[in-house]
Amino acid sequence: MQRSLSAEDAQFQANVREFMTTQIPAELREKVTAGVELTKDEIVRSQQILNAGGYAVPHWPVEWGGKDWSPRQKHIWLTEMQAAGVPHLLPFNTSMVGPVIATFGNQEQKEKFLPATANLDIWWCQGFSEPDAGSDLASLRTTAVRDGDEWVVNGQKTWTTMAQHADWIFCLVRTNPDAKKQEGISFLLIDMNTPGIEVRPIQLIDGGHEVNEVFFTDVRVPAENLVGEENKGWDYAKFLLGNERTGIAAIGAIKSKLAQVKGYASRVLDADGTPVLEQPLLAARVAELEAELMALEITVLRVAGNSADGKPDPASSILKIRATQLQQDVFELAVDVAGPMSLVWLIEDDALGELEDDAVVPGWARRSTPTYLNFRKSSIYGGSNEVQRSIIAGAVLGLKA
Amino acid sequence: MDFTIDNEQKALASAVRDMVGRRTPAEGENGAGPRPHDAGLWSAMAETGLLGLPFAEDVGGFGASAVEVFVAARELGRAGVQSAYADALLATSLLAAAGDGLVEAAVSGESLVLPAFAEPMRAFAAVPGGIRAEVSGDEAVLDGFKGPVRFGADASHFIVSAGSEDGTVLVVVDGSATAVGAEEVLGLEQAAGRILLRGADADQALTDALALASVANAGQALGAMESALTMTTDYLKTRKQFGVPLAAFQALTHRASDMYVSVELARSMAMYLAMSVAEGDTDPAMVSRCRVVLGRTGRHVGQEAIQLHGGIAMTSEYAVGHLTAMLTALERTYGDPRAHLGQLSAGVKDYSTVTVLT
Ligand SMILES: Cc1cc2nc3c(=O)[nH]c(=O)nc-3n(C[C@H](O)[C@H](O)[C@H](O)COP(=O)(O)OP(=O)(O)OC[C@H]3O[C@@H](n4cnc5c(N)ncnc54)[C@H](O)[C@@H]3O)c2cc1C
Repeated sequence: MQRSLSAEDAQFQANVREFMTTQIPAELREKVTAGVELTKDEIVRSQQILNAGGYAVPHWPVEWGGKDWSPRQKHIWLTEMQAAGVPHLLPFNTSMVGPVIATFGNQEQKEKFLPATANLDIWWCQGFSEPDAGSDLASLRTTAVRDGDEWVVNGQKTWTTMAQHADWIFCLVRTNPDAKKQEGISFLLIDMNTPGIEVRPIQLIDGGHEVNEVFFTDVRVPAENLVGEENKGWDYAKFLLGNERTGIAAIGAIKSKLAQVKGYASRVLDADGTPVLEQPLLAARVAELEAELMALEITVLRVAGNSADGKPDPASSILKIRATQLQQDVFELAVDVAGPMSLVWLIEDDALGELEDDAVVPGWARRSTPTYLNFRKSSIYGGSNEVQRSIIAGAVLGLKA
Repeated sequence: MDFTIDNEQKALASAVRDMVGRRTPAEGENGAGPRPHDAGLWSAMAETGLLGLPFAEDVGGFGASAVEVFVAARELGRAGVQSAYADALLATSLLAAAGDGLVEAAVSGESLVLPAFAEPMRAFAAVPGGIRAEVSGDEAVLDGFKGPVRFGADASHFIVSAGSEDGTVLVVVDGSATAVGAEEVLGLEQAAGRILLRGADADQALTDALALASVANAGQALGAMESALTMTTDYLKTRKQFGVPLAAFQALTHRASDMYVSVELARSMAMYLAMSVAEGDTDPAMVSRCRVVLGRTGRHVGQEAIQLHGGIAMTSEYAVGHLTAMLTALERTYGDPRAHLGQLSAGVKDYSTVTVLT
């Protein structure tokens, strides 16, 4: 056991930090740190800079832009990016569909999609969930029926994040209605411009528009867009969900948010003029969150090293549960710090991406409640925290009914 | 950062496991509450090298580090063994810092040197403040009560902390010079002792010694949590009610999953603490953060282990309750989580984030 970073890793850390803080425009990083929603163009711009620097898809196979980094180095890369406020890589591209195509796709699919996916020339969205298929994803009903060289897709997806920006959607579709439910599913790539696709916005409790319903009516998809084997889509989905789970533990981002909240709490004053950060109960809450985040970060470092053959350690469910809890706690603390100012909302869709931190009631304070409410999502998606507990109970503790 | 436990450390763990397995349980072992000092176990621990693990070879130590202390302590905790291990390391660390001749006897197990820091009706602090020492030259005279000191009745020497005109003083008092009763409290009546360390040297040595003792405490807590979790999951698999194993009830398995989350967070903190101390980092804020998480997780695991077992866990014949009792004691040793949070709170305004990877 050894705590210190090796000289090599320390150098690596310095290089990543230098790149993130000098190559990614400061105005983008400022917005991210303040929790301002970015435009599509801003997200694309940032990912393209990262990709040019070799920092977009280091976890992919080397052949497709990946790097031979150790799990520790990957952790350093992620944490440094998040700590510097670098806009997040589009997870649908880099953590979800990219690795699936790289692992299970054929050569033509790899060539056609991987470079464009890494560079965010194609914006992907995830078409898994349906109105009646949430946690029980395998009960999905969207069908794809073979007709000559094409699949004909009918059905509805929902909760589709950023479908309004997407060029392509990767879908789980039922290709064999007679098989056991997990065994009749395939993984299909669909161009969002295909006739028969309709995207309808869903407004969330924070007033923002990030998710959509996607309807498919006789959508004709070239047969070559099926990834891997027909009816093996469930295996690929499980592979993808494992990666998604690990990706949600954004330690660097949570730490940087907590640092922000401390900053707010040093500017909001008590009746006697002292910063609320010096109130014993608030300070104790901060200290507690810092200790808990530290335990989580060390656990990430410890568990990340354990994943064998690309399969996530079932222990990664710990990270999903704990990271989402702490993230939600930090956003909740921001509401506490904003106090009466939290009663006024700044809804992202009207905000036009402005920080507004110089306003009389600063942007961060008006964002605090909508953001807190928005992040109730993180314990629901990516396999809800209850589903993660079931994974631990079954796969780790051997507790089967 | 590297969390691998190497082969030598694995061998140490299995030596400790064997040693604990061979031990004959002392009189009253299966009863409830704090156990008496087990002299047989103590000499076995000395023979296995545990008492000298982190100390230099020239004082009879092993020249290993806090990591090995963690590895050994975890096995003691797993087996639910109550001993003066962490306290003895604390005292030995102070003796070593002072270059005191008593260190060799402490390492060999010939002497049992224990810290006497706590004071009745005072919250924990290395120097709780109720007792002042009258210093004259290399000697000090102490008057008042110190304790409880667990296993104090068997101590050959105490290292008593006190305030004085020179600041903190640490005074070595002969065991025979004080009366220790059932309350495990030392009645010091104008007791004289020699000064081991004073002032800033004493404060620094205390910081380092408490960090080392916290490693042993953390290892034991982790081991106890691991055993409590294993016992609980085994029980859920075998105990049947309503015609099915308890593991059929999701209300219970999800709670077991949360216990697992706690154990893994505790493991991370215990290992991090051990690695830090091994590298000479005894920063009190770092130690406090580890202790907060270990205290919280230990409480969670201990309480849930009892609840998920039902009535059987309430009997003194069944080990789970004893593990919970042990976790309860470990959490309150060297300051409870609330006290540590209090100390951390005072500093949160002075930095922006906590750095883990350095
Ligand atoms: C903001 C947001 C963005 C999303 N983005 C996407 C996206 O881009 N693409 C996509 O495909 N999906 C997306 N999702 C969908 C997400 O994956 C689902 O919401 C999730 O799988 C849960 O399904 P559900 O909402 O139908 O809840 P349900 O499955 O109906 O669950 C309801 C409650 O019951 C609990 N529960 C369910 N089953 C069990 C069980 N077996 N044991 C114990 N408890 C159980 C759940 O934990 C939850 O608390 C998004 C969701 C949100 C909220």
